[in-house]
Amino acid sequence: MIEFKNVSKTFDGKKKVEAVKNVNLKINDGEIFGIVGYSGAGKSTLIRLVNQLEKVTEGSILIDGVDVVKLKGKDLIKERQNIGMIFQHFNLLWSKTVLENIAFPLEIAHVDKKTRLEKAKAMAIEVGLEEKMNVYPSSLSGGQKQRVAIARALVLNPKILLCDEATSALDPKTTEDILDLLKKINQKYHITILMITHQMETVQKICHRLAVMALGEVVEVNTVDNIFTDPKEELTKQLIQTVDTGLDVKKMATNLKEKYPDGHLLRITFENKNSEEPILYEIINKLNIPINIVSANIKNTQAGALGVMYIHIKMRSDIGIVLEEFAKYGVKAEVI
Amino acid sequence: MAEIFETLKEPIYETLYLTFVPLLLSVIFGFIIGTIIFITASDTAIIDTSKSPLLRIINRIADALVNIFRSIPYLILLIWVLPITNALTGSMIGAASAVPSLVFSATPFFARMVVIAFKEIDKGTIEASKALGANTFQIIFKVLIEESKPALISGITVTAINLVSYSAMAGAVGAGGLGFEAFQYGLARHDNEMMLITTILIVILVFIIQITGDLLCKKVDKR
Ligand SMILES: Nc1ncnc2c1ncn2[C@@H]1O[C@H](COP(=O)(O)OP(=O)(O)OP(=O)(O)O)[C@@H](O)[C@H]1O
Ligand SMILES: [Mg+2]
Repeated sequence: MIEFKNVSKTFDGKKKVEAVKNVNLKINDGEIFGIVGYSGAGKSTLIRLVNQLEKVTEGSILIDGVDVVKLKGKDLIKERQNIGMIFQHFNLLWSKTVLENIAFPLEIAHVDKKTRLEKAKAMAIEVGLEEKMNVYPSSLSGGQKQRVAIARALVLNPKILLCDEATSALDPKTTEDILDLLKKINQKYHITILMITHQMETVQKICHRLAVMALGEVVEVNTVDNIFTDPKEELTKQLIQTVDTGLDVKKMATNLKEKYPDGHLLRITFENKNSEEPILYEIINKLNIPINIVSANIKNTQAGALGVMYIHIKMRSDIGIVLEEFAKYGVKAEVI
Repeated sequence: MAEIFETLKEPIYETLYLTFVPLLLSVIFGFIIGTIIFITASDTAIIDTSKSPLLRIINRIADALVNIFRSIPYLILLIWVLPITNALTGSMIGAASAVPSLVFSATPFFARMVVIAFKEIDKGTIEASKALGANTFQIIFKVLIEESKPALISGITVTAINLVSYSAMAGAVGAGGLGFEAFQYGLARHDNEMMLITTILIVILVFIIQITGDLLCKKVDKR
């Protein structure tokens, strides 16, 4: 069991960012647990705390009763061997073959060469890569690369698998295949899977429960069956819809970039708190710049605006001043 | 002709010596310094430097030293280092006397190449290795070096070529080598034939280094 107890994480940069705020969460053994939420909600930060890629600012994270927050040096490395992780961009070692990549965690755990090759081979077969064992990752498709990453993450028989948008860079068909593989692995090895996703279909397909995050907080935890039919929070309902329709944030960005090759493209995220102010109007007036809304998916809830808007700005000078203006209103604006 | 080559045997040997001995030393020292700079940088996330002011100071100092020594022209560095050389070797002339100054000059250069090579590695790859249980030592030797091999090899190649040209300068002030030969025959005696031959030999040496470097680079590049 993974247990988050009053977990907070603040990044101290030029600007303080409270990426995770007072999260309490219990994830059961063998569960596939989804985490959804807007870009910047703190999902990645939350799961990176589990294997201590980030250190908590406050709170504790118990894995089978052991507080990983307190682990250091060798103990931390031991614990990390119990927690596999896969990423959106696969993060394979391109200088190693598929087999060597899969064997890598064993190599750094000082397992002898014969054993590790045997285990890596078995794992490669398990994920359907028996034909590709001796090629380099650069010649693989995205789906195959993710299979290598999965095999690599599982080769030490971890209890937990962390997935940070593992299917976001894949096409729908490949996404299906990878999800099937994760499901199979979950059933076969009874491994706990903690997965971040932007795709509600993914949640529906393989998750047992999920948490909805917004602005660093977990706003709702529910079973997948209930969250679609009976969401507890109004906010959750809206969020799920926006997550659903705003389905592929990344695809959207690429499309827009092709369409508007010059000037600046910004993604503006409204998260409820920016009530009734005519923000765009005021920024246009103040800076005297032409802002063109190229796409918007915003819902009005009782609390205010909620959703994502894409704007295109043709200006020569530094986009920084525009970002600053949005920041003044507490609206998240990112250059895409 | 045979006579000319007889005269040039020693200088050729000296030039090779002045290129490859300093190269070996600078690659070792430069690698250590470059690695220190890279892993103590606050944004690499290999070790957590946020709680260690010492590491941050080390990073700043190493970085500053590399930048300072890299901006000193070799000829000036050579003159600065001569007294040190004298203390070390007991003489200010001869091939060995140029080695310290060449190392002083090439080490910061290669250190910078190492930092650049490591920076090209996707941060996600380093992070993934960390998540899979690699310690700092393993990250350096099994991830950083392996993943940046092509860039490291071209770094070594460029450093070697720099050393050929610096060694010619060192040669002119008494370290021997083809540079000294060109200086002596060309400038002092207006012996154009000798001038031409030494130049061609140096160009050939540079080409051999470049081609070998490129071939090796291609061989290890699996991207
Ligand atoms: N290393 C860091 N330093 C400073 N701020 C950070 C750092 N990492 C994340 N943040 C900030 O913390 C907040 C949460 O980021 P996080 O990456 O966890 O979001 P996310 O929910 O995973 O978003 P996405 O869906 O875009 O991946 C963001 O505002 C982000 O800018
Ligand atoms: Mg993320």
